[in-house]
Amino acid sequence: MAFALLRHAVMRSAGVMILALMGAAVVFFAMRAAPGDPALTALGEGASTETIAAFRARWNLDEPLIVQFGLWVANALRGDFGQSLSIASGTDVYTLLADRLPNTLFIGVYAIILAVLISLVAGTAAALNRGGIIDTVATSIAAAGISMPDFWIGYVLIYAFALGLGWFPAYGFISPVESLGGSLLSGFLPALAIAAPMAASFTRILRSALIDNAHRDHVRVARSLGHGPSFIFLHHVLRNALIPFVTVIGLQVRYLLGGTVVIERIFGINGVGSLMIDAAFGRDYPIIQACALTFLLIVLLVNIVVDLICTMLNPRMR
Amino acid sequence: MIPVLKRLAANKTALTGAIISVLVAFAVIFGPMISPYDGDAMDVMAMLAPPSLAHPFGTDTMGRDVLTRVLYGARLSLLISISGVGIAAVLGSMIGLFIAYRPGFVSNVLMKASDLLFSFPSFVLALFLMVVLGYGVFNVALAIALIYLPIFVRLARNLAQLIVMEPWVQAAKLFGQPTHSILLRELLPNAVSPLLVQATIGVAFGIVIEAGVSFLGLGVQPPAPSLGLVMSDGREYFNTAPWVLTMTGLAISIALLGLNLLGDGLRDLTDPKLKERLS
Repeated sequence: MAFALLRHAVMRSAGVMILALMGAAVVFFAMRAAPGDPALTALGEGASTETIAAFRARWNLDEPLIVQFGLWVANALRGDFGQSLSIASGTDVYTLLADRLPNTLFIGVYAIILAVLISLVAGTAAALNRGGIIDTVATSIAAAGISMPDFWIGYVLIYAFALGLGWFPAYGFISPVESLGGSLLSGFLPALAIAAPMAASFTRILRSALIDNAHRDHVRVARSLGHGPSFIFLHHVLRNALIPFVTVIGLQVRYLLGGTVVIERIFGINGVGSLMIDAAFGRDYPIIQACALTFLLIVLLVNIVVDLICTMLNPRMR
Repeated sequence: MIPVLKRLAANKTALTGAIISVLVAFAVIFGPMISPYDGDAMDVMAMLAPPSLAHPFGTDTMGRDVLTRVLYGARLSLLISISGVGIAAVLGSMIGLFIAYRPGFVSNVLMKASDLLFSFPSFVLALFLMVVLGYGVFNVALAIALIYLPIFVRLARNLAQLIVMEPWVQAAKLFGQPTHSILLRELLPNAVSPLLVQATIGVAFGIVIEAGVSFLGLGVQPPAPSLGLVMSDGREYFNTAPWVLTMTGLAISIALLGLNLLGDGLRDLTDPKLKERLS
């Protein structure tokens, strides 16, 4: 079992590495095709011809594109993403990313945990109470929750819980590196804003998967064998329902990371998303490339993890 | 046509969704004509007025009626979303059907490319594309198209894979029917309803993407009215006049709710698995 799992993981990782390299190529060449000269962006319109030539030589901009790409990948593999051109002139992009990645990951994981907790409770309650009041309320809230833009939920939460009740800060985020308690408190509203639409879709999936599994033959057999309802629920219904649930969580990571971009901006969190927005305004190409690639790698890594969890839950999928 | 409508009316989810969607469409199409206000007309006497009968959504810093601006904005946002998702649906479905019908090197490359697009977080892809393509109405639509393309490719491929081995498809192939004709006449009609459901839901999320990038200032640029821009205005004086942002967001949520319910209901109606269970 362990060997098969390992082989599966290695095969998947190889495929993911190819995808990551293709992603790097797309990001790099698309960026080169973008309007605007990075040299002019960094040095300003009034730069002299010599300075521009020196800049182009410094960043290998005169090499053929394919050579530039090779150099960029080779450097990126060593953790060198170049230096910021405009928004934090001269700072290593790696340093910027290393500073901000923990915040983004913290908010992302926080949001996933909230969404999973909410949906486990709501989805199970709705499925057990199928057709009843709890079910109607839970599915209605879920349908509404899926329809709200996350950045708008962010503002509604600020209005109600920060400006109105004053329970949470409206703006600013304490990094988990400084104080875990502070980051849990200041990160709660942004995490909830990202989690709300996800929790809604998780609830719907879990509910329908639970209902679907509750009527399968193996459940009927287990019941006829005299197993108790809670045993059957945990071992036969919930366990099988977790596979689509985990798969959807994996798929939603794309939306989650997208959500962090806007939410970080609204709540003033120094994360990779807000870095990317600043870089987009400043046309800071090295940073935009590095951020896009970072987000891509996170999604690919999560895909591997989700795949492994599903394989462990269902040995037949191997 | 009539039996379809009857079944639609019998499905509460689909019916609610259809009613909300029709009302929203009506408001977006005719609202700006009926509204007594001009979306750009300023009224210094009514600056930052809270919601009232005269101004259901209140007014902004320049005294403009927020509801009217939302209706104008919704026209553009909806147009952007529909064209983006429309391009993705047509192109993505064709690619997906082709991949299922003609497995091989080209199909593998197309599928890998689609998987790659799908691996980028949607909003990160949108942001990246706005930088590469430049801001503006057309490019937001293009970004939405590229975000949705892989979803339609995958869906169309999965649907078509279930039917490519069916005798009628193989017969058409043997009779020498050209590939494009098989894709359009044999495969597409059998895959069209799930694709339409996906498109309905896609239009809803397309609106969110447009609102998001324009909200950040990286999408539609003023003075063109869009929902994201109205909300972005509202952000600046959120502390003093929260209604501009909250009411606009509420309007978006209701429109999305309509589209999502309609999509869910249509899915129930067209899902063959569900039909089996019911019969």
